[in-house]
Amino acid sequence: MTPKPEVVVLACTQAVPQPSALRQALQEVGISGRIIQEPCSSKVEAFHLLRILAKGADLVWVVGCPEQYCQLAEGSTRMGFRVAHAQSYLAELGLEVARLGFSRVAAGSPEGLAATAAEIQLRLKDLPPNPARPRPAA
Amino acid sequence: MIVGQRKSLQELQEMLTGYKKILLAGCDTCVAESACGGRRETAELAAALQMAFQMAGREVELKETSVDRQCIQEFLVDVVAAAQEVEAVLSLACGAGVQALAARLEKIPVFPALNTLFLGETAERGVWLENCRGCGDCQLGYTGGICPISRCAKRLLNGPCGGASNGLCEINMAHAYDPPVPCAWEQICNRLQSLGELERLYNVKPSMDWSKAGAGGPRRVVRPDQRL
Repeated sequence: MTPKPEVVVLACTQAVPQPSALRQALQEVGISGRIIQEPCSSKVEAFHLLRILAKGADLVWVVGCPEQYCQLAEGSTRMGFRVAHAQSYLAELGLEVARLGFSRVAAGSPEGLAATAAEIQLRLKDLPPNPARPRPAA
Repeated sequence: MIVGQRKSLQELQEMLTGYKKILLAGCDTCVAESACGGRRETAELAAALQMAFQMAGREVELKETSVDRQCIQEFLVDVVAAAQEVEAVLSLACGAGVQALAARLEKIPVFPALNTLFLGETAERGVWLENCRGCGDCQLGYTGGICPISRCAKRLLNGPCGGASNGLCEINMAHAYDPPVPCAWEQICNRLQSLGELERLYNVKPSMDWSKAGAGGPRRVVRPDQRL
């Protein structure tokens, strides 16, 4: 039986004030993921993303605010750069860069959350289980 | 500050072949500023290497630490203690830091995670440019604060070569630098002109004594007043 993919979403509290709404949007496309709230998407460091993948997640996603509405001015913009920087490590490792992604959602927008869930679902379609996950102890 | 660049993950994995417990040690001064060896980069590299080892089927335990400066012996006490629990250390410091740490760990190999590149400044976010070669005979006062040794591709001491075009060094014709390399001597002339000191250029500099720049062997500074 194919194991369920492990999805972790790091969500800015301004973009996703109600994590339950994001959880529901994900469930509607058949995904049960772990949602971690962040004070701003700019607090997500590249090493957070890589660590979560190293611990066994199949896909890690960051949700931030539209760039011009980020309360920390450049935060959402920087988040995009950091995801790209983390993706460069994946490329160097020969891992799919699609295991990392981000979206920008206007505060709590149901359409934005639905689009995010749809994009995650699309990514997961072509992603096999994470080959870099820890091996189970013998 | 010293600017470096991380070695490839492949080279690092090859270096660390056979070791099962490894400590990654970062440095939070120069290489943190140049975004290649600080605690953030140490955490990034640890996670990336963990994934690399897991993909290769290697069971490796990685630990992380970082200190303010690896080039200061007294700062290394905690790293030395942590290193007693591992088989090898991967240092993200510059060459000076790697060696300072290695000198304190006689029985534990220390590997460099970076290629140490140059002395430079943060010209803009994400861009570090070389501007000092440590030549040991600083002439910046005579060149308007612009170094011809490090910033002129030919290290000319007495004026431009004539190969510049639109203020840019001719090496830009061989390689598309981004940002492009300006002609250091054009910058020097412009700067001295704005300072009202263009006449300095009429003082012809003699040939450089390269022994001060390291051609005479490893350099040192000894201060008797500092040796307690």
